Amino acid sequence: MTDSTIQHTEDKRDVTFRVHRFNPQVDSKPYFDDYTIKLEKGITVLRALNYIKEHVDPSLTFRAFCQAGICGSCAMRINNMSKLACTTQVWDELGKTREPDVIKVEPLRNLPLIKDLVVEMDPLVGKMQHYENWVDSTMPEEQWGRKEFLVSEEEFQKYDKATDCILCASCVSECTILRAHKEYVSPAVLLKSYRMNVDSRDGHHDQRLAELVKDHGVWDCTHCYRCQETCVKHIPIMDAIHGIREDAIERRGTKDTSGARHAEAFMEDIEKKGKLVEATLPIRTNGMAWTMKNLLPMAFKMVVKRRTPPPPPLVRSTKDIEKFREEFREMSGHVAKDHQKKSGE
Amino acid sequence: MKLFDIVIVGGGGAGLYAAMEAMKTNPGLNIAVISKIYPNRSHTSAAQGGANAALANKAKDDTVEMHIFDTIKGSDYLADQDAVEVLCSEAPKIIRELENMGTPWSRMEDKTIAQRPFGGAGRPRCCYCADKTGHTILQTLYEQCLRKGVQFFNEYFALDIALDGSRSKGLIALNIKTGKIEAFHSRTVVFATGGYAKMYWNRSSNAAGNTGDGQAIAYRAGIPLKDMEFVQFHPTGLRKSGLLVTEGARGEGGYLVNALGERFMSRYAPEKMELGPRDLVSRSLETEILEGRGFDSPAGKYLHLDLRHLGADLIKSRLPQIREMCMYFEGVDPIDEPIPVRPTAHYSMGGIDTDNFGRTIMEGVYAAGECGCVSVHGANRLGGNSLLDILVFGRITGRAAAEEAGKFNPSPITDAEIADKEHEIRSFMRPSGHYERYGTLREELGQALAQNVGIFREASKIEKGIEQISILKERFSHVRVFDTSDVYNTNLIQVLELRNMLDLADTVAAGALVREESRGSHTRTDFPVRDDENWHKHTTYTLEKGRPHLGFKPVTMGRYELQERTY
Repeated sequence: MTDSTIQHTEDKRDVTFRVHRFNPQVDSKPYFDDYTIKLEKGITVLRALNYIKEHVDPSLTFRAFCQAGICGSCAMRINNMSKLACTTQVWDELGKTREPDVIKVEPLRNLPLIKDLVVEMDPLVGKMQHYENWVDSTMPEEQWGRKEFLVSEEEFQKYDKATDCILCASCVSECTILRAHKEYVSPAVLLKSYRMNVDSRDGHHDQRLAELVKDHGVWDCTHCYRCQETCVKHIPIMDAIHGIREDAIERRGTKDTSGARHAEAFMEDIEKKGKLVEATLPIRTNGMAWTMKNLLPMAFKMVVKRRTPPPPPLVRSTKDIEKFREEFREMSGHVAKDHQKKSGE
Repeated sequence: MKLFDIVIVGGGGAGLYAAMEAMKTNPGLNIAVISKIYPNRSHTSAAQGGANAALANKAKDDTVEMHIFDTIKGSDYLADQDAVEVLCSEAPKIIRELENMGTPWSRMEDKTIAQRPFGGAGRPRCCYCADKTGHTILQTLYEQCLRKGVQFFNEYFALDIALDGSRSKGLIALNIKTGKIEAFHSRTVVFATGGYAKMYWNRSSNAAGNTGDGQAIAYRAGIPLKDMEFVQFHPTGLRKSGLLVTEGARGEGGYLVNALGERFMSRYAPEKMELGPRDLVSRSLETEILEGRGFDSPAGKYLHLDLRHLGADLIKSRLPQIREMCMYFEGVDPIDEPIPVRPTAHYSMGGIDTDNFGRTIMEGVYAAGECGCVSVHGANRLGGNSLLDILVFGRITGRAAAEEAGKFNPSPITDAEIADKEHEIRSFMRPSGHYERYGTLREELGQALAQNVGIFREASKIEKGIEQISILKERFSHVRVFDTSDVYNTNLIQVLELRNMLDLADTVAAGALVREESRGSHTRTDFPVRDDENWHKHTTYTLEKGRPHLGFKPVTMGRYELQERTY
């Protein structure tokens, strides 16, 4: 047997990591450092960063712990997408780079920067506390340990996927609402809130829901689906957000929050007109006074710049719109039946 | 000066359960959990399989008694039988308690908690939540601690116990985010920092931070450690990362193949082949590598776990997680290529010597979980007993600390003590002519241990290992921390972790050398059989003049007499 049969020959390549650097004690603003290292196929981004830290620049700072994709420490932006460095193969990223063989590495967005690739996680923990992301057991603590709650596999399935969440904050980093409003509840916290709310052992559902429908809560989401796209555990986060909304309308009606009224206005337009009437939408969602105060100046500007939608929304009842309404009524019928079934249980 | 009643070091399963139970025992207490990472990142999350408890949901004839026997037998009779009794009889209660507070367990048809069979257990008694049991338990405990308002000091690195004569008066820790050394004046300190198997570095399945910080701090403070030579190896770790490829891959029919293309298990277990017991399979892989039939790579020698003959459909439907892991971490798709594997260190049975209430010999200092050694695992831990251990003894220790905290009135930690630590830390940063890189030393430590104090041990090799460790310790005195900044200095933290691993490596090697027998995970080729007459006892280690001083403790026996361990 010659050496060549034992030797595992592997692909090698020079790869440049363009890494976001910032030391608050020295730097007034962040910058990028390039590190070029020779790598073999099969190396993860985290192993490459570890190599750079150990052999090239020990001051390079990032979090990492389990290195197996379960602790969530090493979430960072790699080539403009938030993901775990430990589960990302360098070779896969090389196919996505703008500049050949240059991989860009940045810290998560929407959380305060501490140093290089490390961001502050406390705001996320604070939101978990604010929205009471825990099961508040219906069983008094003194009785714990004596007997099990009986839970069907069907109920377990409702929150099984949501409990995959490792709080890596990739969804937080990619959330478009958080970019505009740091106070926004954030996708991970909505997911966890949903998980608690569908758990029959929990007795805090109504209070949690009351908090979720307030400002910066569940109605602020714009359905961009970025959270779901980025989720490292492939959790359907949007299903959870929709779940909370449906639950809110079902239990609290549509009158108590602007978000619910907004959804109702959409429904009404589709049912009655077959088309969205944007001009009156703010009035129906937030009321006349709010609209006059907050939107009238903008409306003026829109008129001046000739950006107003064509008034008034006269839609002739074409065959297609009729068909659409038909489908809508059928869907509403199903939803109503579902609700009846649920309340009858 | 703020005085805590309890400072818990470590935010994994044991630490969080201790915090919760302490608050429950006495809600008026001032309790802090300090952790070098966010608690929800702790290594408890990596436990996939489950936790054993004789709930008898699945096998109606299962009993606590059978669980006790399985655990004692699994430990190769080195576990203390009274401690095992506590572990197993508390098990059903604690699993139900976790269920009552919201842990999402997988369910059976009759809506009770599901259970499955596990290695070394006579009945299917392992309670699980899919393959994420540890993760969901950790999340639940963290959520409940947030609910109860436990005070968390996240990203603090524990440095040392502050001593008040022969007892503890609190803890000195480094605030990672600011770089400041801070005093935690406290009546009691509970160590729950996890295991030390990461000292085998890239020959370990452990998280980067499982560096035995709590054990090293206790050891430096003069508290004895126990049974440190017992480190469990798993047969199939990935070559580059050491991460586990679970036994399921072999269960589905995977082959272990050497560089000659042979299914070498035919030499060691002609009947069971790849499905022999874990320690036997580990030893077989190691033998193939040692005798030169392994593949070579820059990351070290390895063998192949070949799944290709199973076909793409089966791999995709039955082993999706394993396939994903191989692609993520090794860049190999098992449908097209064999998986490069070798045995990997993954659990430390030894730890801080405690009694059945988590108490150490030092007043006011406690330990629980993998960090402590009660001992319930003896020479070899059973699958599904590690999660159980951290839960049961986390809770017991939390309660003990809460009940006893009032007894102690420590004097304050002085500014001079803080200044001492600051000086110690700064000394790593002072530029000097000749210096060592911590990364190199860390890798060499892992190699020295894996080669000389790994699966197969013999006097000459262990002695060589001890010599290598002492050279590494000498070189460590020249380690330089290049990052001189205060904020989030991971360069410094990793150097401090390396110091802890070097201190503990001494004890592992010393214990391996002195124990002239083969028991459980400890295999001496020069003493291949178990020697109950001379070695049915625990080893203890106390730091004296920079070297581990060895002592021995009897094993607490009970109903079960010594027997040969056969399966």
